[in-house]
Amino acid sequence: MGNNDHALIRSVLAGEKEAYGLLVARHSQSVFRVAFRITESEADADEVVQETFLRGYRKLQDFDARSTFGTWIYRIAMNCALDVLNKQKHQKMVPVAEEYDCELPTVQVADRAAGPDRLLLSQEIETRRHAAMDRLTPTERIAFVMRHMEDRSTDEIAGALGIAPNSAKQAVFRAVQKLRQSLAPLWVRS
Amino acid sequence: MKHLTEEEMIGHYYSEDFCKAEAQIHLQACRQCAQAYEEFSKLLASVHAPGVPPRGSEYGAQVWRFIQGSLLPYGPKRRRRFFHWPQFGYATACLLFLAGAFWAGRFWEHAHSQPPVTSSEQQTKERVVLFVLDNHLDRSERLLVQLNHADGEGHYIDFPLQAEAQQLLSDNQLYRQSAAHANDPLLDAALDHLERVLLEVANSGNELTSTDIASIQKEMNTQGLLFQIRVLRARVSEQKPNAHAIRKGVNT
Repeated sequence: MGNNDHALIRSVLAGEKEAYGLLVARHSQSVFRVAFRITESEADADEVVQETFLRGYRKLQDFDARSTFGTWIYRIAMNCALDVLNKQKHQKMVPVAEEYDCELPTVQVADRAAGPDRLLLSQEIETRRHAAMDRLTPTERIAFVMRHMEDRSTDEIAGALGIAPNSAKQAVFRAVQKLRQSLAPLWVRS
Repeated sequence: MKHLTEEEMIGHYYSEDFCKAEAQIHLQACRQCAQAYEEFSKLLASVHAPGVPPRGSEYGAQVWRFIQGSLLPYGPKRRRRFFHWPQFGYATACLLFLAGAFWAGRFWEHAHSQPPVTSSEQQTKERVVLFVLDNHLDRSERLLVQLNHADGEGHYIDFPLQAEAQQLLSDNQLYRQSAAHANDPLLDAALDHLERVLLEVANSGNELTSTDIASIQKEMNTQGLLFQIRVLRARVSEQKPNAHAIRKGVNT
């Protein structure tokens, strides 16, 4: 597939725009997966996918033939996701409340999965995880998703985010610390 | 015993600890760290990736349809030429600029070297004038010295002195006019004073007695005139070396 990707890239650069459509078809699912894991929103993930392939096309002349298109577009997707998260960071957000508090401008989410204790615990973990993920900075969030969910190495995270490997490692560390602070009380209770 | 830090546990969990074997040995030996690590592992293991909503096989085609309108096709690669027009244009512009700068420099140098030539001509003229004037003042000074000392009784002014006064008179008229034209009031006044004395001496006839001389000395203040002439000579002598130096500077 790698070689085919390179052939398609050559065709695109030779003027055959339609060849890029084949690259999009090949890699859009994996890009969507990682975009969704980072943004946790279908709409945002779709936006990231479109922006990623648009940027990829415009930067295709800079593509290094020694690397694979999948890795290259993955890095672009990380940057697009980072932009989306940064954009959201500036917008006013209403936090999801875990308990009703009349003084805080929060929204309570109905727990439709109430049932056995185990299921309830998983549901609460998921709610708290979601809330904790929202508290992470965009860099920490991407670093954690890449490390914990996508099983990427520190060097890959650093390369995708354009930071030093040690900074990437620290971003993962801070993200885990924050998640641990949010989730630890549940484990004590259980 | 040094316990594992949280950072080391995270590194160990994600299998990135470079001292993994060492950490493993410590975890086997240290019950406290082993318990902490177990809780830590459970907690991280409970964090699952959110379920990704399924995207159909047509998803890639949909994305492509959405973005293809805003993509411009790449142009076919051009052959490398020996030179490209923009580069050639820049090179030509640089050459023209350098040539222009060179010629402008030459014209500028030429234009700025003209005035010294003119001034050198003026300096030459001035030098000649100063030389002649100095000579005239020298002669006038000597005449006045003779006149101031010719006060013995029964002495007559000899004919050569009168002849000298007549010669000096004609020259002095020219110099006085030049001084007036050159707007030099000091020189003009001194030459005017000298002219009157010379006129008196030249027109005194063959018999100029000591009484006449004393009268001239007194009435025409020849002592004062002599002082004026000496001052002027000193000034002219100062101007002469300057003019000479300027002349030498131009020549070099």
